[in-house]
Amino acid sequence: MAEGRAFGVLGLFSDPALLLAAVPKLRARGLGRVQAYTPYPVHGLGEALGLRRSPLGGMVLVMGLLGTATAFLFQWWMNSVDYPLFTGGKDPSSWQAFVPIMFEVTVLFATFTAGLGMLVLLNKLPAFWHPFLDSEASRAATRDRFALAIEAEGEVFDAAAAEAALMVVGAGSIEVLPGLPPPRRVPLETLLGLAAGGAVACCLAGAAMYWGVKLFPVLPPMSHMLAQPRLDAQQRGRRAPAEGSVARGRLPYPFEKPEQARGLGNPLPRTEEVLRLGRKVFAHNCLICHGPLADGTPILTAAYGGRPANLQSRKYLGLSDGEIYHTIMKGENAMPRLGDGFTEDERWAVIHYIRALQRAQHAKDGDL
Amino acid sequence: MTLAMTALGGLAAAATFFVCGPQRFWANWLVWMLMLLSAGLGALFLTALEHLTGARWSVPLRRSAERVSGLLVPACAAAVLALFALPVLYPWAGPEAAHHPLIAAKAGWLNVPFFAARALACAALWLVSWRVFAGGSLRQDRSRDAALSERARRYAPFFMVVMGLTTLVVAFDWVSSLSPEWYSDVIGVYLFAGSFLAGLAAVTLTVGHLKERGRLTELRFDHVYSLGAWLFAFTVFWSYIAFAQYLLMWYADLPEEVFWYAQRSRGAWRGVSLALGLLHFVIPFFALLPRDAKGDLRRLRWVAALVLGAHFLDLYWLVFPVLGARPPFSWPELGFAGFFIGVSLLWMRRALRQGADMPVGDPGLAEGLAFKL
Repeated sequence: MAEGRAFGVLGLFSDPALLLAAVPKLRARGLGRVQAYTPYPVHGLGEALGLRRSPLGGMVLVMGLLGTATAFLFQWWMNSVDYPLFTGGKDPSSWQAFVPIMFEVTVLFATFTAGLGMLVLLNKLPAFWHPFLDSEASRAATRDRFALAIEAEGEVFDAAAAEAALMVVGAGSIEVLPGLPPPRRVPLETLLGLAAGGAVACCLAGAAMYWGVKLFPVLPPMSHMLAQPRLDAQQRGRRAPAEGSVARGRLPYPFEKPEQARGLGNPLPRTEEVLRLGRKVFAHNCLICHGPLADGTPILTAAYGGRPANLQSRKYLGLSDGEIYHTIMKGENAMPRLGDGFTEDERWAVIHYIRALQRAQHAKDGDL
Repeated sequence: MTLAMTALGGLAAAATFFVCGPQRFWANWLVWMLMLLSAGLGALFLTALEHLTGARWSVPLRRSAERVSGLLVPACAAAVLALFALPVLYPWAGPEAAHHPLIAAKAGWLNVPFFAARALACAALWLVSWRVFAGGSLRQDRSRDAALSERARRYAPFFMVVMGLTTLVVAFDWVSSLSPEWYSDVIGVYLFAGSFLAGLAAVTLTVGHLKERGRLTELRFDHVYSLGAWLFAFTVFWSYIAFAQYLLMWYADLPEEVFWYAQRSRGAWRGVSLALGLLHFVIPFFALLPRDAKGDLRRLRWVAALVLGAHFLDLYWLVFPVLGARPPFSWPELGFAGFFIGVSLLWMRRALRQGADMPVGDPGLAEGLAFKL
């Protein structure tokens, strides 16, 4: 950059019509970039200045569609892959339920792109200083005058010629804007650093929340859900299905006493896949009371003061698969009936998994 | 040509009654009655909205809207004749209705004399409103009397109430009572959205036609763009309402509500429902999204034609499932389309000869012509 080169030359007009008339004449001279500073938007000024079409529309479209896709994939993965929750008997992957969120996220992405894109990408903000701000004319041009500037473009700028040209088209209060201090912008590295720091903080917070809820469901503040008065008004545990109803794909359970179920055998093979399913069901439903090792000493004991069954004790080691199945279906003591929430396979798979836990705690020499 | 189409279509429509039975005849009749009605009412709403809000941008377009609103006259005639469809199409008007507890409970509203009285009252209110807005505007062409604008301005708020209530009556009576056990609170808003959209599309086609003939030369990008923006906005609004109704019923899954959607999501009707979403939302939405599309009258005319077609599909989708599980589309439907499109074109051709192409007597016209975005 040439030392001491002016930023541009600026003149004031009292009327937007005069300003509009002057723009094409100045642009035809080719002395520099013609720029206008007006207190309010002047109709036709954009066309007169030859402003290019803003690329914002395309950016907003792309980001909006990205928002739609993000919201869809997000919900689809959570609701039908990672943790399917059946609500109102609907398939958890029903697209209908995703639409309101897809709409919201589309709007969110699109408006953020529009706002930030306009401010940061197109108007180069944040910038704390601009040569125009130090000029005398900037006061008038934010009040009731209309300013036109011829701004330096490239290496060569003839300030005297620009002044003359502005005078010819009828501008008053002509002044030269000094080009001394370069515009102080926030360096790109700082912005990138801030963005990266924010992203890392978001990831950490998300991970902390995710694992926190997963590992310590009954520590404060997660346990506050248990402290609400509403919980007792409803039923603890799962709600019993309506009298006489049978869920689709399930069979009614005929037995009332554990002895009746004693003879039931586990129909599932003890494969890795079955054990993995059992571990998932156990982790989501049983672990909270019976503990990760099924020994009845979980985190929950402290919070509730109850004493869940130690499935590693002699009594439970001696139960048959059918009797465990009966407990899952009917509940026992403080344990609610949980079976209605599981498929047949899930019930038997979790029994396999409990057996595996028991065997792991009472391993014989031969197992090693 | 138009005359031949109308005559041929009328012949096919009449033949439908004897060949395919009265049910199919009256279902077609009802759809086309609603088609004309919604376009006319939508255009009248645009006119009234301008008077109500003191809008200026739409003054140069208003004569086109007033001309389209003239379709209310054939629509009202068709509605009066459609009263003969009551015992054929509407289960509550049949003899077995008394044995159905849900329908019998609604007999206070759904009975033939009250229904006919409501239909006639609506028709009278529409025709009076049409006379006040369109007739007053035509008189102003000659008299240049600013008091006529003032009269329209004072009548406009009253018309908004009339519009709201009569749209609701049309939705409850002519549309939802086809399945009298079914109910939806939002069906009136749904029909209003479709109706305003149809009115806007018909106005766009009229303006495009006039512009092509070298009339309306003072109309600029800014006016056309605003019309396109209305079309775009109401494409989205219709979709929002349509999906809101669907989502709530799908979620609640109550037997007395959801059967209506079940009828429309099985077999061939599923395809019609998907096509409705595509033609009434996806395609017009993306076609109108770019800035250039909203301001370019030639592109806008294509979209307007598509929107009118989609609106027909919407009405067909509302009415025809009561006939059965298979959506019928054959020569009777084409005949009815020919007849009613022909009647509308003949009616519009007559209207286009009356008065100037812009409300030349309106004191706001100069301001409207100078409108800039």
